[in-house]
Amino acid sequence: MKNLVAYITTGFPSLEFTVDAAHTLHEAGVDSLELGVPFSDPVADGPIIEHANLLSLQNGFKIDQLFSISKQIAPVIDTLWMGYFNSFYHKGFDTFVAEAKRSGLSGFIIPDLPYEEAVPYQKQMRNAGMTLIDFIAPTDTPERIAMIAKNAKKFIYLVAYAGITGSGKAESLDDIISGIRTHTDTPIYVGFGVDENTAKDKVKGVDGVIVGSALVKVLLDTHLSHKEKLNKIGSLAREIKEKINE
Amino acid sequence: MTKKPNDIYIPKPSPHDPDELGHFGIFGGRYVPETLMTALEQLNKDYQSVRFDPRFWKEVDYYYKNYVGRPSPLYFAQNISKELGAKVYLKREDLNHTGAHKINHTIAQALLAKRLGKKKIIAETGAGQHGVATATVAALFNLECEIFMGEKDVARQELNVFRMKLLGAKVHPVTSGSRTLKDAMNDAIRHWVTHARDTYYIIGTVAGPHPYPMMIRDIQSIIGWEAKAQILEVEQRLPDKVIACIGGGSNAIGIFNHFLEDKEVECIGIEAGGLGIDTDKHGASLEKGSPGVLHGQMSYLLQDEDGQILEAHSISAGLDYPGIGPEHAYLKEQGIAKYDNITDAEALDAFVWLSQSEGIIPAFESSHAVAYLKKIDKSSIKGKLIIVNISGRGDKDMMQAKDILKDQFKD
Repeated sequence: MKNLVAYITTGFPSLEFTVDAAHTLHEAGVDSLELGVPFSDPVADGPIIEHANLLSLQNGFKIDQLFSISKQIAPVIDTLWMGYFNSFYHKGFDTFVAEAKRSGLSGFIIPDLPYEEAVPYQKQMRNAGMTLIDFIAPTDTPERIAMIAKNAKKFIYLVAYAGITGSGKAESLDDIISGIRTHTDTPIYVGFGVDENTAKDKVKGVDGVIVGSALVKVLLDTHLSHKEKLNKIGSLAREIKEKINE
Repeated sequence: MTKKPNDIYIPKPSPHDPDELGHFGIFGGRYVPETLMTALEQLNKDYQSVRFDPRFWKEVDYYYKNYVGRPSPLYFAQNISKELGAKVYLKREDLNHTGAHKINHTIAQALLAKRLGKKKIIAETGAGQHGVATATVAALFNLECEIFMGEKDVARQELNVFRMKLLGAKVHPVTSGSRTLKDAMNDAIRHWVTHARDTYYIIGTVAGPHPYPMMIRDIQSIIGWEAKAQILEVEQRLPDKVIACIGGGSNAIGIFNHFLEDKEVECIGIEAGGLGIDTDKHGASLEKGSPGVLHGQMSYLLQDEDGQILEAHSISAGLDYPGIGPEHAYLKEQGIAKYDNITDAEALDAFVWLSQSEGIIPAFESSHAVAYLKKIDKSSIKGKLIIVNISGRGDKDMMQAKDILKDQFKD
C-alpha cells in the first residue's frame, strides 16, 4: 500500500475547519497530515500556499492556537508540523518539541533547515521520540544524497523538481530514487506538484506522495461553503489515494 | 588631494571569517530549501578558488579603474570640519559609476557568474540602486538580467525602473506580502530555486546564505582598504572614528573591515531610526530586533512574538529592510563595532546640511551617517579625525526630497 500525506495550512479558513479537515482527510484514507504553520515569508512555497499563509495570519492566527488544536488532531491522524525555521526558533525549539510531544505528534518538516543546520535539532527530536524529516532534491549530488539518506528516518521528502510548491514541472527522478535506495530502506515520498492528475505518475518507484497546493486551492475557493470544501478535499484525497495504489 | 592607491585590491583573510558552514558565531549559515544547497556549495567552492587569486582581482581591477572610476576620493570636508571642530573626511562612493557602492560587488559578481558559465543573472532591489547596478553589469558583460522589485517600490521609484529597462533588464513587480524589498527577495529566491542550474543570483548586500555575506564583504572591503591608505597618506595616522549607514550593511562592512583590526579606530554603524525607535516605524534591526532566520541566514530581525517578520520603515528605501547582514550581528554581540540610529527627520536635516555646506548631495541612506556627526556630543569629537562613508549620491532621491522639502524651499 502506497501512502498519502496531505498538507493543509493551519487556521485557514478557520481553526474549526482545520480540525474538521483532519477528520475528513483521515476518513478519506490519508495516512499522515502535514499541519502547516503559517509564516509571513514562506519562500519554498508557490503562490497558492503562500496566499493561504498570509490569509491565515490576517485572520489572526497565533502559534498558541497551533498548539491547542494539535491536541485535538494528533489523536485522529498521524500528524507532523510543517513550517519555516524562524517560527520554531523564535518561540524556542524546546517549546515546540515539548508541545509536540504533549500532543502526540510524530515529527516536524522544516523546508529551510537543510541537513547541516538541522544536525543539533535532529538529535533533539530523536531523543524525544520524533523525527525531523529530511529533504532530498533533484539538484543534489550523489555524495550529498548519501550523506542525507543514511540517517533519514520515517520518510524522505523527495522534492519532485527544482522549484517551489504547486507548479506543474516534471523531472526524471529515476537515478535519484535508485541512488537513495542504495543507502537506506526508509520510505521515499514525493512532494511538489502532486495532484489528482499527476499522482499516478509521480508515485512510480516511490512509497508515497505528498499533496499540498491541490488541497489548499480548494480551501481558497470563496464560492464553496465550509461543508463543500470538506467534501471536496475528502473526495480529492480519496481519488489520489486510489490512483497511487492502482 | 589624496594619493590614489595604485596596487590591485585583493581580499585577505579576516579574523572574523565565518566557519566552513558560514557561521559568524551563531549568525549566518545556510537556511535555504535543499534544492539550493548544491548551487551554494558550488558557489562557495568557486569563490574560494578566486578569493585570493591575483588574476581574478586583476580583471576586477581593470573595470574598477576604467569603468567605475576607482579609487574613489577621500575628500576633506573643510566647511563641516570647521563647524564641528573636528577633521571630517568623506569617502566618496557617491562618485562611482551608477552613483553608489553597489557597482563594486555587481562587477565582481558578474565576472564570477561568467566564470561559472552562467548566462543569466537575477537580483532583488528596493529603491532600485542595486537593480540598476546589476542591470548595468548585465549590459556590460552581455548577460540576461531579471530584477525583482516590490510592486510598491516599482510605483515609488519609477525612474529607476525605467533605467533598468533602458539598460536591457526585465523588471518583475512583486505582488506578494508587503510588496517591498523583503518580498522582492522572497521572489528572487523562489525564482533561483527554480533556475539555479543556469542562473546566478547577485544578492544586493552582505546578507543571504553563505557564502554571500563573506563574499560581498570581501568585495566591498575595497572601500576601507583605499580609505586606510588615503588617510595614512594625508594625515599619517589612523582615524578615530569611521561612520557608515546600515540597511543590510554592505557599505558599512566595506569601510569597517580593514579598520576592525585597529583597536584605536571606532567603527560606528547607523541604522534607520525612522519615526523613532520607540514607535513601530523604523528599520533598527540590531537595536530593536532579535535573532532569527530570514532569507537564508540567521541574524537580527524585526519580528513579532510569534516570529512573524515585521515591516520596516525608513525614509530611505535602501535602509527599509527588517533584517541585517549576519556579520554585523556578530560584531555587535562581540562589541567589535558600535551601532546607533538616526531618525528620518535627522537624516533629512543632514541631507540639506551637507548639500549646502559642501556642495555634496548625499543619498538619503548616506545622510543617516552624516547626521550622526550632529547627534554625537560635540565635545567628544573635538579635534578628532573622522571618516564618513558617503555610500551613494542623492540624485535618486530628488523627487521624494522635492516633495518633502517643498515648504522649506518655496520662493
